[in-house]
Amino acid sequence: MLIDIRDLYKIYNEGQESEVRALDGVSLQIDQGEFVAIVGASGSGKSTMMNVLGCLDVPTRGEYVLNGTDVTSLKDKELARIRNREIGFIFQGYNLLQDLNALDNVILPLIYRGTSVFEREEIAMAALARVGMDDRAHHRPSQMSGGQQQRVAIARAIATHPPIIMADEPTGALDSKTGRHVLGILQQLYREGTTVLLITHDDGIAATAPRVVRLSDGKIVKDEHQEVEWL
Amino acid sequence: MNLMQAFKMAFKSIASKKMRSFLTMLGIIIGVASVVIMVSVVQGMNKRSMERFEAMGDNKIEVYAYQYYETSGSVSELLYEYCLGMQDLVMGVTPQVDVWREITIKYGAKTFSTQNWDDWEKRISIQLGSDQFGVCNNYTLGGGRELSFLDIDKTNKVCVLGGGAKTLLFDFVDPVGETIFINNQPFLVVGWYEPSGVEGMSSMDNVILLPYTFNRTLNDNQQIQQYVVKAKSAEATTLAIAKLKAFLGGFITEGENGFFNVYSNNDWSSQVQEQSLMQSLVLGAIAGISLLVGGIGIMNIMLVTVTERTREIGIRKAIGAERKSIIVQFLIESAVICGIGGLLGIGLGSMGSLIAGKFLLQGMKLWPSATITVGAFAFSVALGVLFGLYPAIKASSLQPVDALRAE
Repeated sequence: MLIDIRDLYKIYNEGQESEVRALDGVSLQIDQGEFVAIVGASGSGKSTMMNVLGCLDVPTRGEYVLNGTDVTSLKDKELARIRNREIGFIFQGYNLLQDLNALDNVILPLIYRGTSVFEREEIAMAALARVGMDDRAHHRPSQMSGGQQQRVAIARAIATHPPIIMADEPTGALDSKTGRHVLGILQQLYREGTTVLLITHDDGIAATAPRVVRLSDGKIVKDEHQEVEWL
Repeated sequence: MNLMQAFKMAFKSIASKKMRSFLTMLGIIIGVASVVIMVSVVQGMNKRSMERFEAMGDNKIEVYAYQYYETSGSVSELLYEYCLGMQDLVMGVTPQVDVWREITIKYGAKTFSTQNWDDWEKRISIQLGSDQFGVCNNYTLGGGRELSFLDIDKTNKVCVLGGGAKTLLFDFVDPVGETIFINNQPFLVVGWYEPSGVEGMSSMDNVILLPYTFNRTLNDNQQIQQYVVKAKSAEATTLAIAKLKAFLGGFITEGENGFFNVYSNNDWSSQVQEQSLMQSLVLGAIAGISLLVGGIGIMNIMLVTVTERTREIGIRKAIGAERKSIIVQFLIESAVICGIGGLLGIGLGSMGSLIAGKFLLQGMKLWPSATITVGAFAFSVALGVLFGLYPAIKASSLQPVDALRAE
């Protein structure tokens, strides 16, 4: 079991009039090498789910065991290590550093990982080549289209070869053709053995994942396997 | 992530945000430079006035005495004899006459005038004094001899040149034994004084000293009214002033047959010192304000970028940066920006000081004081680092998701 959450809550303004239960007692198990789409309408708690699973946020209460480690008890240093080595993030808004070129953006997680200075560039270029962006290595994000930026962001996510990739609405800001290309890359990663979590509100996009978990009002309402359209 | 890497990352970040880095630096550059210049100018002015006092000499007593009718003999002779009688207190006494009549001075093809007001640097004044003129006015003999008592008694046509007059007339030739023409009368140069060495004080060096007995011919025999008595120490000055007042009071009754005044420039110098202290305080306050304004500039630009940087920190945390490495990176980044800005400010301030010295203080070579420079530098850098570090400390303690949410 790679990801194991039990009875997880994320509650904002708890006990007050304006209390919001973004995650309301969720339990979910994901095995290594799965491709899971987490689907739900806006406000269903799916983004909160990814933030908690990705150690970008802490749950209000509940259990979260990642690869055998109880994450809820970890300090900043260990959480940083998990974010760096275990998980690669792909965001809807790309979240590239605007002042660095594509190559330096991809190198960044390798620096935090402590990869030797001699290997970094080679590894980063390989990751860029993977997403077909090696010819744009020295362009800044502002000089690239949305699809190109997202591909650089994917290269950054896979540069450290993390066992898990988490993508939060990765195609949300892209046209359908570029979106399909990005989804194709995720499926490719899945076929190579990476665990992929795809967060989306769009059932069409969720159709690319073999397992779909549907969230509504902070609760899991459906969890099923399906036939997949390979891109 | 090691320190070397943190440095590299900081430099990369500075280089990639040139505008913000420059604006931050600008606050520091202006703050440091203005403090350095202000303080240098004040210190230069103080130094200049102290130099003037030192050049004129301490313990100098100025005597002003005037008789409606010279009844009891010449004051010059009486004063001279009286001062000889208190040699335990007094080093010398001399009449001090600056001849205001137009007089021409010639040597070879060169002609100078006492009335050349157009070119101050080339005006030579004729001073009348005794054999103790040099001692009283703090001149050092550079060559030859002083006037002698006999020169005065016999009204010998001899003269001693001030350092400036010597250069104007003779360049670097030894003038002793040469003859110059003063109003077409030949005068033998018997000695010369070293230049006072104070910039902007040519009036003190462009002088020719003649025996005061020439007062009769060169100064229309006007009554000599000013004298200088040189005392041996500050205490001796006080005593001598009291004695001189009593002595002059013995034959001059104020308002009845003349008047007199005795004072020393020791009082004056302490007054000027007080004044320059006031100047220091005022200009120091102005400099402090500009440093503060510079500091507020730094603060502003740093705080304005907090949200932008908060997002950056969120991204860095999401891809695996520890809190520590983010803070170290921002610390180095701020320190480097502020350090460079501070150094540029010191450079600019030093240049400004030199320019201010050239135009405000007659070409004085003005170098900023090390203490003030280091102080201003340290203050600006501390401020820059503090406010540069602020977003890092604040944002790095947020959950990554909250930092990422910053718009």
